[in-house]
Amino acid sequence: MIRSHTESSQPGRNPRLTGLVSTARVAFFATLIASLGGCVTSTVQEVRQASTGMTEGDSIVILGRRDRPSNDETELDFIDCVSANLGKGGTAVNVINEQAFRDAVFPWFEPRTAPANTSDLPELMATPVVSQRLQEIGLRYLVWIDGSTVRTDSGGSMTCSVTTAGAGCFGFLTWENDSSYEASIWDLRSGNTVGRVSSDAIGTSYMPAIVVPLPFIARVQNSACTSLAGQLKSFITNG
Amino acid sequence: MKKIHRTQLLRHTVTLVLAVLMTGCMTTSVEVPTTQFPVPLMQQLPVRMGLYLPEELRNYEFRQDLGDAGVFEIEIGPAQEAMFTNLLTGMFAKVVPASDPVTFDTLEADAVLVPRIAEMQFSTPQQTRTDYYEVWIRYDMALYNQDGTVLVQWPLTAYGKANTQNYLLASTSPTLTQAALNACRDAMAFFTVQFQTLPGVQQWLQATTPIQPPTNPATVQGGTS
Repeated sequence: MIRSHTESSQPGRNPRLTGLVSTARVAFFATLIASLGGCVTSTVQEVRQASTGMTEGDSIVILGRRDRPSNDETELDFIDCVSANLGKGGTAVNVINEQAFRDAVFPWFEPRTAPANTSDLPELMATPVVSQRLQEIGLRYLVWIDGSTVRTDSGGSMTCSVTTAGAGCFGFLTWENDSSYEASIWDLRSGNTVGRVSSDAIGTSYMPAIVVPLPFIARVQNSACTSLAGQLKSFITNG
Repeated sequence: MKKIHRTQLLRHTVTLVLAVLMTGCMTTSVEVPTTQFPVPLMQQLPVRMGLYLPEELRNYEFRQDLGDAGVFEIEIGPAQEAMFTNLLTGMFAKVVPASDPVTFDTLEADAVLVPRIAEMQFSTPQQTRTDYYEVWIRYDMALYNQDGTVLVQWPLTAYGKANTQNYLLASTSPTLTQAALNACRDAMAFFTVQFQTLPGVQQWLQATTPIQPPTNPATVQGGTS
């Protein structure tokens, strides 16, 4: 049975299967084109206020600002993405998971109680159990991330219909996403802000449709994440 | 063959239309998980604190009918025991569970805390035109003396929100659960910072003989430390 199936899969022998192979090719090229994605332009900037560096056993935590009453919180997947990028590669740094950190030092980094500025750190560090816990986990740098990705523009139209004869779409959609994030790096050893790194990315996605919609997605947030993580890693380890 | 195909297509179309229509009158029911409450990291107060959780608190369920948007149910009661036990375990040298408010005098506790949920509210992204589900809980907290008299009573308002964009397909259930959980964590955080600032509590603490904190940490129910 297996051999028979293998033989019949050769192009040109069975018109029905030839059609399937053609469809697979179209799908492959469509996926390839889609994977190219839309254009993304990203910019990274940093401001250094003090020297940095990490020794063995030091760790870092990336936290999103959850202060009220903002309705523009940093996405959880963005925080996870930056943490994951910092924790891999040749110069990987030890990154503590955001939720694990908040639980380990609960309730001191909840929206109601989290330090707003480095001036709040001395009071927090003066609590013996807190400073002891931070030492246990080896936390050296605390990175606060502000910002989000928003859709700034969209246009075009697309109509899809389903009939007994089949289904299809026709039209053209376009949209623009803008990512803007800023990381503020606190050194817990000195109790000061050692610098800021910002990452901005903008990109336009397209989706033309002639029967089948073909999305050209600009991975704006991902671009902002990789840029920010790369710059943060460089900022902390090469300071 | 073609007839069968059309019949199947019609059946699927009808099912799809019914599914879309049913979303207008569906019920979203969520339960706050009991395993997500950390023990607060703080200097324990050297007192023995009793904890009595009334039946209506343990079984508290919020329900609201939003008409076309559906019915929303948030089961928050079952999580209250883990929440308050972990909270007090982190704050006080000894926590004594109380099963009956009449027997406070037989407890080996310096005072007994009795929380109640006075009111709960929530809002949907459609109502606020944001991406957030928001939950508010107003607790009525009471601290009783061993003889059953009220030492201090105070309100405690907690708030939690969660972004639908953090969940696959902007799903309602996980977002609403997270918002309710965040409100409970906020209640714990607020309690830790508010408790010692209350004048009645300060007087009670001054009048209470401190006990030696235990050498071994107290038992923790369903939380992370």
